[in-house]
Amino acid sequence: MSGLLQLTNLKRSFGGVRAVDDVSLEIEEGTIFGLIGPNGAGKTTLVNLVTGYVRPQSGSIRLQNATGASELARRPPHAVAGLGVARTFQTLRLYRNLTAVENVLAGMHLRRRDDTLQQLVPIGPLLREDRRRVERARELLERVGLPPGAFGERRAATLSYGDQRRLEVARALALNPHLLILDEPAAGMNPAEKDRVRALIQQLNQDGLTVLLIDHDMRLVMGVCRHIAVLNFGRKIADGAPGAVSQDPAVIAAYLGTQAQKSATHVPGSEALDVAAARPSSSGEPASPLLEVRDLAVSYGAIQAVRGVSFGVAKGEIVALIGANGAGKSTILNTLSGVLRTHAGVARFGDLDLMTAAPDRIVRQGLVQVPEGREILARLTVRENLELGAWARRDSRAAHGEIERLMQQFPILGQRRDLPAGQLSGGEQQILAIARGLLARPKLLLLDEPSLGLAPQMVDTVFDVIQTIHNDGVTILLVEQNALRALEIADRAYVVETGRILLSGTGASLRRNPEVQKAYLGG
Amino acid sequence: MDFFIQLFTDPVGFYNQHELLIAQIGINAILAIAIFVTFYSGQLTLANAGFMAIGAYTTVLMSLYLPTPLPLNMLGGALLAGFIGFLVGLPVLRLRGIFLAIATIGFVEALRLGVILNVPITGEGQGLKNPTADPLGGILPILISVPVLSYLVWRLTHTRLGQAWAAIREDELAASSNGINVPLYKMIAFIISAVVAGYAGALETHINFFVDPTEYGISRTIQILTFAVVGGTTNVVGPVVGAIFLTALPEIIRWASAYRDVVNGVILILVIIFRPQGIVGRGGLAVIAPRWWTRWRSRERPASAH
Repeated sequence: MSGLLQLTNLKRSFGGVRAVDDVSLEIEEGTIFGLIGPNGAGKTTLVNLVTGYVRPQSGSIRLQNATGASELARRPPHAVAGLGVARTFQTLRLYRNLTAVENVLAGMHLRRRDDTLQQLVPIGPLLREDRRRVERARELLERVGLPPGAFGERRAATLSYGDQRRLEVARALALNPHLLILDEPAAGMNPAEKDRVRALIQQLNQDGLTVLLIDHDMRLVMGVCRHIAVLNFGRKIADGAPGAVSQDPAVIAAYLGTQAQKSATHVPGSEALDVAAARPSSSGEPASPLLEVRDLAVSYGAIQAVRGVSFGVAKGEIVALIGANGAGKSTILNTLSGVLRTHAGVARFGDLDLMTAAPDRIVRQGLVQVPEGREILARLTVRENLELGAWARRDSRAAHGEIERLMQQFPILGQRRDLPAGQLSGGEQQILAIARGLLARPKLLLLDEPSLGLAPQMVDTVFDVIQTIHNDGVTILLVEQNALRALEIADRAYVVETGRILLSGTGASLRRNPEVQKAYLGG
Repeated sequence: MDFFIQLFTDPVGFYNQHELLIAQIGINAILAIAIFVTFYSGQLTLANAGFMAIGAYTTVLMSLYLPTPLPLNMLGGALLAGFIGFLVGLPVLRLRGIFLAIATIGFVEALRLGVILNVPITGEGQGLKNPTADPLGGILPILISVPVLSYLVWRLTHTRLGQAWAAIREDELAASSNGINVPLYKMIAFIISAVVAGYAGALETHINFFVDPTEYGISRTIQILTFAVVGGTTNVVGPVVGAIFLTALPEIIRWASAYRDVVNGVILILVIIFRPQGIVGRGGLAVIAPRWWTRWRSRERPASAH
C-alpha cells in the first residue's frame, strides 16, 4: 500500500470565497476513498483541482504511478487524463448527439493509435482494429449495466438520467485509468439503482482500480468506502475510517445540521411509518380541479414515455408525482408547461388548453415550472437571474420590491446577490430557481426534482421553502425521487411507473402502503 | 426548366454551355468542404474568404515573378494559407462561438483593407492580371478535386482525429477529461480548413483572368457560411450539396433574376425554420416536413391507437 494521490496544503478561492482551504489528504493505491460534505463544501472544486480544470493558488497534487511521481497542479486536463486519472462530472457532460458506443469510443482516445493517414484508405487490418475497439466499447457498456444491444446505438441525449450517469462511467473507464473519480455517480437514482452503482464500484475496485467517490448518499458512501474525508466550507474537518467519521460530532453537526434527527428518517428504507394521517383532504379526485389531465400520452420516437396518465390538482393542494428514474415524471411536467408537445390526451389549466397554448402564455396564466437541474443562467448574477424571472411582468416596480423581499426571505440569495449564479452550490442554485419561478407569480408551481443531488441538510432547507411557498397560497405539483420526503408534505400523491399511474392516494396513506416501497424500490 | 431538360437530355451540350457555372460550383463546393472541417470540430470561423485570398494572390504572384510550375504555385498558395491560419489561430482560437466568428471576420477585413489594398505588389485596389489563366483547362482539376477532397474529409471524420473533433464539438470540457488535447485539435482543424480554402482560391485564379480584391470580403464569407447552413453539417455531403444548390440556383431561376437575392434570402429563412439541421441532416437526404404537417397527420389517426 502506498499513496497514489497526495494533496498537500491545497488552496483555491473564488472572489473571496475559500472553496478549498488548505486541504491535505492522501489516497492509497487500491482503496475506495470517499469525499463527503454539505453542499458548497468544496468537493467538486477539489476534483476540478486534481483533474486540471481549476488551477490551485498554492499547494501540490502528486500522483504516484508506475513511471514515478508527477505533479498534477498546473497541468492541463488532457495531460492529467494522460497520467491515468479519469473522472465523471456532477452535471452530466456526455457527447449528447453521439451514440452510447461513440461516447465510449471517444473516451478511448488516448489508447487509440494515431491512424489519421491509414484511415484514408481503410483496409483489412484497420477495419479489424475498428471492430475490436467497438467490441471493447460494447463490453464497457455491458459492464456498467447498459446492454449494448438495447442502448449502444441510441443517442446519449435520449437515455434516461440514470443511464446517462452509467454511460459517463463507461466513458471514463475507456481511459483505462489508475484512479477513477466519480462525482456523484448516484445522484437522482432510486435505492435499487444505487445498489447497482455500489456493486459496480466494488467490482471495479476488486479489478484493481482506485476510486475516489463523492456522493451525498451516506448509505452508499459509508457502505462502500474504506476511508472517508469530510469537507466543510473548504476545510477538511475529519479523515478516517467510515465508522469513526460517522461518529465524529463535528461531522454530524456540519453534515446533518441541527435537524439531524429529522434527516435520519429520510434515508429511504429506514422510514418508521408512524406519521398520523392528520390531513383533512380526501383521497378522491378533486371536484373542481385547477389542473386536469386526462389520458396524456407522450412518446420519444419509438419509446413511449407516458402511456395514458390522468390526474388532477385542486387549488391549494400539494400533489406529488413519485417514481423511479425514467418513469416519465419529468416528461409529464414538460408537457404541461408546453416545453414538450404531444397530441394524445387532454390537459387543462383553468380555461387554458395546455395542449395547444404557447409556453409563454401558459406562464402568464400562472402555471410555472422550475425545471430539473435548475437551469439557472450561470454567467448572470443572482440578482440578474431573479430580474429575468420577472421579465414577463408589466409592473416592474412591484417586481423589484418582490425581488428584495425574496432576498430577505432567502438570505442565501441575498448574501450572494452579485455573484455569478454558476458559483453557487447545487442547493443554493435550487433555491434561486424556485425564487425565480415565484417571480412569475404562479398559481400552480411545477417543481421537478427539487432535492436532486442535495445534502440532507439542504434538502430540509429546500422542503421548508416549498412549505413556506405553499402556506403563501401557491398550489404545488411536485415531482420527486425522494418519495418519502415528498409524501411527508404532499396532500395527495400519484406513483408513476413506466409511464403509467400505478397507485394514488393521500400522502399519509401512501407512506404506509407497502406497494409504494415495492414499486419504488423495484423489489 | 430548360436547365434541367438540357441536363438530362443533352449532358454534353449542357456541360459546354455551362462550363463556367460548373467550375464555380466546384470552387464553392471546395470552400464548403473547408468550412465543414471547422464546423465539424465545433468552431464557427468565418476566415475562409481571407485564406482564399492568400491562396489566390500567392499563386498568381508566384506565376508572375518565379519560374516555378503552376501546380507548385498552387501548392505554395495553399500552404501559405495554412501557415497564416496557424498564426491567426494562435490568438483567435481561444475564443468560442460568436466571438470567434467576429474575430475571424476581423481577420478577413484586416487582410483585405489593411494588406491587399496597401501593398503595391498585390496591385492594390486594381487587382492582378493572371497571365497563366486557362478557363477551360482549369475545370478538370476542379472537377477532380471536389470528389477527392470530399472523400478525404469524409475519411478524416472517421479517424482518431475526426473522433476528437466530434467530441470537442459536443463538449470541450468532457473531451479534455478523455485526454483529448482540445487546443491542439482545434488548431489542426483550423489549419486544414485554411489550406483547403487557400487551395480553392488558387484554383479559382486559374479560371479567372483577374484577381479582384473585392471578391474576398465579408459577402464571400457569408456566402460560404450559407452553403454549410443550408446543406447541413452532420457530414461532408451537406455543405457540398448546399454549395451546388445555391450556386446553381441563379441559373435555375433565371426568370426571377431581378429578385435573386430575395429568393436566396427566402430559401435561407425557410431552411432555418423548417429544416434547421440543413438539407442533408442526420440520416441522409431529408424530406422537408414542417411541424404542422406531422401534427396534422397524427390528428388523422384515432387517438386511442394503443
